[in-house]
Amino acid sequence: MVKEVHKVARQSGERRIIIANSATSLNESNRNDIAVFGSHCGENVAGYVLKSGARGMIGNDAGIGLEGAGIAALKILEEHGIPAAAVAAMSAEIGVGRSTYEEGVISAVNKVAERLGVSLGMSAKEAADRMFEGMEAPGAR
Amino acid sequence: MAKEEQKIVRQLGESRIIVADSAAAMDESNRRDILVVGSHCGINVGELALHNGIRGLIGNDAGLGKNEAGIAGLKLLEKHGIPAAAVACMSARIGSGMSTYEQGRISVANKVAEKLGVSVGMSAKEAADKMLESLSRG
Repeated sequence: MVKEVHKVARQSGERRIIIANSATSLNESNRNDIAVFGSHCGENVAGYVLKSGARGMIGNDAGIGLEGAGIAALKILEEHGIPAAAVAAMSAEIGVGRSTYEEGVISAVNKVAERLGVSLGMSAKEAADRMFEGMEAPGAR
Repeated sequence: MAKEEQKIVRQLGESRIIVADSAAAMDESNRRDILVVGSHCGINVGELALHNGIRGLIGNDAGLGKNEAGIAGLKLLEKHGIPAAAVACMSARIGSGMSTYEQGRISVANKVAEKLGVSVGMSAKEAADKMLESLSRG
């Protein structure tokens, strides 16, 4: 498949907020990153995030859908201590990472993200900043 | 990135119906195949389908969403004469290709798919069959 080039939205030392259209483009170079992408937050997306070692994620809730499948990744990542949130499908264009980042409004949050101050109705940009700053906080792994 | 699993659910001549959780699973070995995926049908998924030269696509409509981004790939593929359809996000679990294939109900079809007999409300399985059978008719 075509290799996607990530856009860096914010950087401090080795830590970054990166933007990707697809979560499948995450890899080990994202180990110090908060990943904001255009993908849904389904179960398989949790797998891509875990495999890459990314430190937080924001994706699209994909209308939430059958059995909440569109946000299933949030719970899985919560169990791994990774902050994760989704933006409302009506707030941002699914498949477009930049739309998630620039237009997205948070519709679902896991407990780890909540503890960092991410809340419903917040912009994705602000939520990504909270995760980013949380990663820098003393005591963060 | 990790290599995704492809599952062959039907074969007809050299063409197959392939089920995969993510559209990222497709590659150039799918040039004669119909792909049924757990992904949304956004623009990047349409581009991936075009890039790999697949012959038909069924994915999730992701609730349609802003500017109907969840089905933007269908229009793109239509312009290239490739049949494509989406299942309702309330009918199948997004991210699961097998759920799309086994539980999905078509909510939107592009004109190329419609011409092959794919219609709204049809099961994804039947829609995939119509796409595959049209290939063997040449």
